[in-house]
Amino acid sequence: MVGQRFLLGVSSLIVLGLAYTLLSNASRFIDVDQLPDPLRSTLRPDVLPPTQALVQAIVDLVRGPEKQPPPDEPAHMHNHVHTSDHVGVLLQQGVTLQTSLLITTGRVLFGMVVGAPLGILIGLLIGLSRRVDDYIHPIYVLVRSIPPLALITYIMLWLGHTEAHRLIPIVYAVATTMVIPTYHGVRDLASTYLVAARSLGARGWLLLRRVLLPAAGPAVLSGLRYALAIAWMTAVGSEMLMADNGMGNLIVGGGMWASRFQTRSDPAVVMVGILGLAAAGWLMDSGARLLTVRLTRWAR
Amino acid sequence: MSSDAPRMRLEAADVGYTYPGQPPTRALDSLTVSIADNEFVALLGPVGCGKTTLLRIFAGFLTPTQGVVRCDGTSVDGPSWQRGYVLQESAIFPWMSVRENLEFGLLAKGMEAEPRRAVSDELLRLLGLSAFEAAYPKQLSSGMSKMVEVARVLATDPSMLLLDEPFGALDAQTRAKMQDELARLWEQRRKTVVFVTHDVEEALYLADRIVVLTARPGRVQQQFRVALPRPRPLETRFAPEFSALKRQVWEVIGASSSVYAGRT
Amino acid sequence: MSLVQRNRIKRALLSLGAIAVVYGIAAEIGRWVLPHRIWMDVHYIDNVELLPTYQSLAEELAFLIQSWILPSSILVSTGRILAGFLLGSVAGIVVGLATGRAARLEYVADPWTTLLRFTPALALLPLYVIWFGYGEASKILLIATSVAVVAMLGAHQAVRGVPQVYLDAARALGASPRLIFRKIVLPAAFPQIFASLRVALALAWVTIVVAELIDAKMPSLGYLLALAGAYPRVPQMLIGLATIGTLVFLSDMLALSLHAKVTRWMRRTG
Repeated sequence: MVGQRFLLGVSSLIVLGLAYTLLSNASRFIDVDQLPDPLRSTLRPDVLPPTQALVQAIVDLVRGPEKQPPPDEPAHMHNHVHTSDHVGVLLQQGVTLQTSLLITTGRVLFGMVVGAPLGILIGLLIGLSRRVDDYIHPIYVLVRSIPPLALITYIMLWLGHTEAHRLIPIVYAVATTMVIPTYHGVRDLASTYLVAARSLGARGWLLLRRVLLPAAGPAVLSGLRYALAIAWMTAVGSEMLMADNGMGNLIVGGGMWASRFQTRSDPAVVMVGILGLAAAGWLMDSGARLLTVRLTRWAR
Repeated sequence: MSSDAPRMRLEAADVGYTYPGQPPTRALDSLTVSIADNEFVALLGPVGCGKTTLLRIFAGFLTPTQGVVRCDGTSVDGPSWQRGYVLQESAIFPWMSVRENLEFGLLAKGMEAEPRRAVSDELLRLLGLSAFEAAYPKQLSSGMSKMVEVARVLATDPSMLLLDEPFGALDAQTRAKMQDELARLWEQRRKTVVFVTHDVEEALYLADRIVVLTARPGRVQQQFRVALPRPRPLETRFAPEFSALKRQVWEVIGASSSVYAGRT
Repeated sequence: MSLVQRNRIKRALLSLGAIAVVYGIAAEIGRWVLPHRIWMDVHYIDNVELLPTYQSLAEELAFLIQSWILPSSILVSTGRILAGFLLGSVAGIVVGLATGRAARLEYVADPWTTLLRFTPALALLPLYVIWFGYGEASKILLIATSVAVVAMLGAHQAVRGVPQVYLDAARALGASPRLIFRKIVLPAAFPQIFASLRVALALAWVTIVVAELIDAKMPSLGYLLALAGAYPRVPQMLIGLATIGTLVFLSDMLALSLHAKVTRWMRRTG
């Protein structure tokens, strides 16, 4: 069963990879201009980057700006098949694939470490007390309705272009995402156990640590996995809008807020960025999933 | 009160409870009952008659919307280990081993590890579950799991036990075995017990007194004194006195079938 | 209405009212205390109200409505969401149902769905702009993609999650696989599919706002925010944020009530 899954998955990857390579290199063997639209506008190297270009982009971005190109020679003249100066701009800023990934990961982790306890705390409070729930829940519903990245424009007025300005939407997104799973865990999952434990005389810290948290644990953990995905998206969005480092910045092509998108986007770089993000996201999620399984061994 | 009169451990005076909702549900209405010290009382009634609600009120998790509930003279103000409560649903802590479950109440009392272990050893022996001390609840059958819950409550040695249809989910054989276990435990450590059930035989087998409740909203329909001698071996179930009592109880239940049909 | 519900509404109004009052006071204090001049990377801007008073908010709101800027932005953004959501949910549900039914199909599609799942939708925006230009298509397709991914996952898990007992019972009654799928699997899967659509809706809003922020063209809510940020004109920004929040909230409430209505029907016949 596992074998079949693995085989089919890998073979579909290989097959589609080959098909893509063929398709993206089509302009080499056939005269694309003779073909009808939309084929004609699709099979161009600046729309569908050839596989070699992807590989080249990865290599370039990993290697980084080893030798500084002479000031009068544009960076893209160095053996690239790129059609724009996207990579060049990035390299000039000292951006590499690895550092971008690390920086984005760092922002995501910061958001999780600060935002998750906040969200869990609020979820606990409204889950445990009906009264607090009545007061706080409506506020939460309103707050949650505002997309975190939309706030980034307002925060900028207060904090300017600082790191805090980029991190706050991530923290906010994680915190608002964690409230509901925690609330659900406390209200629905833990209530029976809380009754039993209180009838055994448990109170306060003991009740919290040895009954409430384990009982609500599975819901909170799956909420954390979801919050992780949200944190990724918010971090990348935040970087695409307002940062000069990180994966979002890499995809968008450098430059500050006002001059973004004036670098002509190189699809090869964008695809490399997407692949990198997907890989990193998948790794983090797998780690989170393994952790969850480990911590909830006692569950049926 | 004279010193000869039996001490009333639990009293419910004209208790009513209404669940909020649309429309609100009247679970209990003008219910008056008292439980004496070391008495084993069975609350018998059809599904939905408010027995669980009454037990929750006794346990201190619900406040009656009408009337007063008193324990040892003072009104009930919240849960306490002195009123050990075993729920109908499965409430054994799945993230703790059997032993840890048993010791939990003692942990809450602040007992040290060694004396805790002594108590849990004793309980494991009593239940015959010594081999399962390190097992996790998911490895136990539902019958065993329930007994662990009962033993867990016994560990803190409360003077009162509130049991809500603890054997409801078990098959007939296991249930009979569990009833025997409970009776045996009760013989060894006398306590005041309020036992909720909808099974007439179970009530007759275990209790000193049966309180029959009407259908929703629950009221006391009638009470029966079960004068069968103790201890009650298996043969008790087939004794003529048992059948006679059973008939009496069934007649009461049958006679109130119009009430059971839901007309209040 | 019961006492509990009345209390709930009372407390909700109390806390929301308290926030409104606190904001009003903070705005008044802010007029005196907060800086009116802020640094915008290259120059100073004057006359900035960091915490606009209710009066300025009201004036701004009136202006935005009268000049038709706000209503048209709402229409455009909502239109894009609707189009993208419909497209994406249909595509996602169809694919998810297919992969849920046939395990082999799932294995083949696995690497691609994983890739899509872990790609933040926003990262696809530059790619879509390259492929589809700066117009409506790129944005609508972006929303459709993010919705489709969530819907596909939800549909897939919903189909997988149908209790085997139902399927066995149906087979024992002699039902064909097609009938089973139509009459057993689909209805049983519906609640979970719907739950994932709710999540997808929230995601769609997040995506559209940022997509419009990045690729700004009037009229749209994102552009409203961007413009308000560029001047800056804080009352406009706050009104934009409040509008987006209200629309998100309303669409979620709509989804919830729809869900309740449909499942009530199901429960009665089920």
